[in-house]
Amino acid sequence: MSTFDWIPPEFTLDQCIKCNICVAHCPVAQVTDRFPGPKYAGPQAQRFRMPHQPSPDRSVDYCSGCRVCNEICPNDVSIMEMNAKARAALVAEQGMPLRNRLLGRNELMGKIGSYAPRLANFALHHPVSRLAASAIFGIAREAPLPTWSTTGTFLDWWEQHYPHRKRSHKKVVYFHGCATMYYEPFIGMAAVAVLEHMGYEVIVPPQRCCGLPMLSNGEFRAAEKLYDQNLEKLGPYAQDGYDIVGTSTSCTLTLKEEAPHLLDRHEVISRTLTGAVWDIFEWIREHEEELPQDFIDLSLTIPYHQPCQYRAHRVGRPSVDILRRIPGVTIHESGARCCGIAGTYGYKKEKYDIAMKVGEELFTFILEEETHHHTEFNACDSETCRWQIEHGTGQASRHPIEVLAAAYGLYDLEHRSLRNPKHAITS
Amino acid sequence: MIDLLIIGAGLTGLWAGILAGQKGLRTRIIATGHGALHWTPGTIEVLGYLPGDPQPVKRPFEAMERLFTHRPHHPYRLVEPSALRAGLTAFQQVVARSELPYQGAMRAEENLFLPSPVGAPRPVLLAPQAQAAGDMRRSEPYLIVGFHSMRDFYPTVIAENLSKLGHHARAAWLSPDILTDRSDVNVVQLAQALDDRVVAQRLAAALKPLLRPGERVGLPAVLGLERHPEVFQLLEAELGAPIFEIPTLPPSVPGMRLAQALRRHFEHDLQGQVDLGMTVSGFQTHNDMVTWVWSQASARAVKHRASAFLLATGGILGGGFHSDHSGRVWESIFDLPLAIPQNRSQWFRPTFLAPEGHPVFRGGIRVDAGFHPIDDEGRVLYRNLYAAGNLLTDSDGIAERSLEGIAIATAKASIDHLFSSR
Repeated sequence: MSTFDWIPPEFTLDQCIKCNICVAHCPVAQVTDRFPGPKYAGPQAQRFRMPHQPSPDRSVDYCSGCRVCNEICPNDVSIMEMNAKARAALVAEQGMPLRNRLLGRNELMGKIGSYAPRLANFALHHPVSRLAASAIFGIAREAPLPTWSTTGTFLDWWEQHYPHRKRSHKKVVYFHGCATMYYEPFIGMAAVAVLEHMGYEVIVPPQRCCGLPMLSNGEFRAAEKLYDQNLEKLGPYAQDGYDIVGTSTSCTLTLKEEAPHLLDRHEVISRTLTGAVWDIFEWIREHEEELPQDFIDLSLTIPYHQPCQYRAHRVGRPSVDILRRIPGVTIHESGARCCGIAGTYGYKKEKYDIAMKVGEELFTFILEEETHHHTEFNACDSETCRWQIEHGTGQASRHPIEVLAAAYGLYDLEHRSLRNPKHAITS
Repeated sequence: MIDLLIIGAGLTGLWAGILAGQKGLRTRIIATGHGALHWTPGTIEVLGYLPGDPQPVKRPFEAMERLFTHRPHHPYRLVEPSALRAGLTAFQQVVARSELPYQGAMRAEENLFLPSPVGAPRPVLLAPQAQAAGDMRRSEPYLIVGFHSMRDFYPTVIAENLSKLGHHARAAWLSPDILTDRSDVNVVQLAQALDDRVVAQRLAAALKPLLRPGERVGLPAVLGLERHPEVFQLLEAELGAPIFEIPTLPPSVPGMRLAQALRRHFEHDLQGQVDLGMTVSGFQTHNDMVTWVWSQASARAVKHRASAFLLATGGILGGGFHSDHSGRVWESIFDLPLAIPQNRSQWFRPTFLAPEGHPVFRGGIRVDAGFHPIDDEGRVLYRNLYAAGNLLTDSDGIAERSLEGIAIATAKASIDHLFSSR
């Protein structure tokens, strides 16, 4: 129902009463003068943004897109979408640096690196190349860039194991996203293991990057191409009534809402895809009665950060709701606004310090938990957030699906691998 | 399934959540965004003005009967005065445990008169400890201190207006560099800067030479956010003089502190949950019961089932009502019958500051003695739906200065009824 009540973000500026709650809570405005705050960059500047007129200011580029403003606005103003569209207008007007083009193409980067992952890791993480990347492209030297999987991509694993995976009349489609594909295939393995344990056959159709990195860098046209390809590849499954679940919470948000809203795509097939996509824990919660109860007592206290991108789904806290069902698991929620990285934001040289300052409240929470409860790892649903948290705290970070898989004895949380990779149940 | 879903995260919603949590009810609060506490000065106002009377009320409990002659259906009518008193005491206990003590002339049940951001008296019954020393019933001369380049806080204006009211008052300005090297800051950032002990000490050192013996010091309400109690104590100890905060224009730091303290108590001590960004967009009923409400979300609306529902969405400002250009006003979730002029020409009186207020701001929904919304014939609409706070009819919380009193009183009474009818 909400999908059909959609109002173009620019129109919501009339709902703004200038109360400044968003400015007071914006994690970016809190730490830097470069961003005046959501109200100024959003609804206020929006009044001066006219078609065929130059953009009034550039500060909107410093919006990280975390959506905290949308979450807390008492009047439902679509502030973040307004900012994203304004940034795209700036890019269309003034162009964008090569760096942002590279960061937007994480799928391509992932693919290239995966041909020779060890070499790629060496090249990307070597101090000399980081220095060069910083000097030439403006990618922050210290930024928590990912590491390619050296044991093959998720698809390599899937193709190898697909023939003996579970078959069932109950089927669900899995959207792995680029990070699981090239950097963290074990997240996908944990997801497949849990979904199968719930009695489902998993389908992994061909798919493209969700387009979020391009959308958040203002490259709307390129993002729309990816969106069209995903409509073509995933749309038929949605039309046939399959649910599509994803383990990357920002990818699922993009397919559900961000891409169609920012790209003004509201045709039937787009709405059908939107209606079929779920974040994996949102989906598991909806199918809670199918969740097997054969849990192992994990005896763990886990500090958990719900990413801002997950909160932007506005579905409550599905991961917490499910993880709390595991015997012996205690979840401590961070309550922090944002880890700071905001996708590719914190990778940028001029924004790295801002991202680290934004993350401070979360890092402090995680380190205090470590001191008081001797926690060994924390949990978070988004990959870039996990990398940022590990970078900011030195503590390992896990996806909640890894914890759930471990609670069924299917997964080794420490080594991040399936306990029995060939484990397959046929029914 | 949870026992109670509260819609609205203002003072009514948060306080009702705490009371329900204390009774062991599994309770969840959902709201579109932050509640009105983030806009309001963090004080508890019970009754400050009677309709048509420009003189402020000294003793709110004594003035109730006079209020009811003007407002026969006022929400306070639904609550025993003893219940309001008990509610205020319970409130004081909860906030004191959260290191945010509130004070007032509770034995005499008299209002304090605290300076507003323009130096006018604000009648309040309970004030955060950090605002109490501003009380105009006290005699110490005022030193009002502001910061150059800070918006919407002008110590000279405040001091001048206080002088016109017969108080000894003078103004002083400090450089904002004492607090921060940021070029453009809002009150929340100033408060966060003062959370740093070094910065607080720097402020104390800058204030000391300004102070004359016997004076009390009024500052904008930015004395710390997370570490407010420590900042306040440090300043009082270093200066050896009474210090008080004057609330600023929104966002309001004292209101944020209160909202944060209440939410933390609800979530950490009472296992409650608050989710923002959830706008309720529909509901489902069975017979005369609400079975669930829907909230807007990405892709598909989220269904919230509960045994009971408490509507605490506030008045026109809070979002409890919507209106359109034709003059139609409706309750935003259940489209409950409203006692409100449905004709735009009758919304307002001709003068902006009409002492009897504007009819549209007194509009609201009617409830029975059990706090169930009722229709024009007095029939209960849904047996498990309750309503509390400033969406109730026949009060004008801002003009009467009764917003928080109504919130605390009706939250308590509605939760009591809800609990006893289980």
